Amino acid sequence: MLYQGTTNFFKGKSGQTLFKLLVRYIVWGGMIVVTFFPNITFLIAKSVGIIDNINAVILTGFLLIFLMIFKLLSAIERLEQGVSELTRKEALKEIEK
Amino acid sequence: MQDQAQKIFIVIPAFNEEAVIESVIREIQNHNYTHLIVVDDGSSDKTAEKSASLENVITLRHKINRGKGAATKTGIEAAKLLDADIIVTIDGDGQHDPANIKNLIKPLLQKQTDVTLGTRLLDSAGMPYYKIIHNKIGNFITWYLFGLWVTDSQSGFRAYSRKAAEKINTLGDRYEYESEVIREIYIHKLTFQEIPINVRYTDYSMNKSQKQNFCNGIKTVGKMLWKIFA
Repeated sequence: MLYQGTTNFFKGKSGQTLFKLLVRYIVWGGMIVVTFFPNITFLIAKSVGIIDNINAVILTGFLLIFLMIFKLLSAIERLEQGVSELTRKEALKEIEK
Repeated sequence: MQDQAQKIFIVIPAFNEEAVIESVIREIQNHNYTHLIVVDDGSSDKTAEKSASLENVITLRHKINRGKGAATKTGIEAAKLLDADIIVTIDGDGQHDPANIKNLIKPLLQKQTDVTLGTRLLDSAGMPYYKIIHNKIGNFITWYLFGLWVTDSQSGFRAYSRKAAEKINTLGDRYEYESEVIREIYIHKLTFQEIPINVRYTDYSMNKSQKQNFCNGIKTVGKMLWKIFA
């Protein structure tokens, strides 16, 4: 996932932005780091103010899922508006004739 | 009286109204309005064909259903392209009485206001009680979210001056459109007047599958909240 995201970004594929690449590194890179260094979750929990490290992981997971759902809904909303705009332009061709 | 110095366009969004669209159009035309635009919102029946068969009616067609708000916006855009001075929106199911159009447009013809909003609740006699409750809830939510109190935030029977039609820019496609117009009036500081209208609740209009109901109301509130926070 990291390799794919990096190559897509540097090849300039459409829809790839620095922000997306950074999010990919944080999410997937974070998972790799936690896999090899599980005790790092204690540090994360302590810095955020959560006592139990597993709670920190779960909370972070929830936040990420919420972020993904929000982005999906935003994308759907933009698509709906785009479809309506196209439908309108097609209908108004009758007037513009 | 009508269509003298100013061009008055009547916009009729319609979805699967083949049973009544001809009578709706004829009734409006009988009140001497000659610039009618019917926007067929992707109907699966012969709404567009029946409308197109009548004279002095411009029939536009959405290839797919996008919602009442989208259809109304298409009709308003069409009226603007045709140099409308005043644009009236009226439902395509025959619930609205075209006799009220002259009261709606009078303040606009006299340049007293930018928008007139038809309201059922200044005289709600004959209105089903659950619709009154639904309306009052809609009014409260519209006021709370968009900052403007009106007595009928969900009425589709409205009239706009050219100035208002140019300024109002909505994104809502479905039933949230009516409330979004209220928000646009507030944001652009447009003046408005509420005009009492009478509504005819027929068996046909009350039994339509696509009418506003509790579930659509919840969805409408959800969309209004989304537009604020997203």
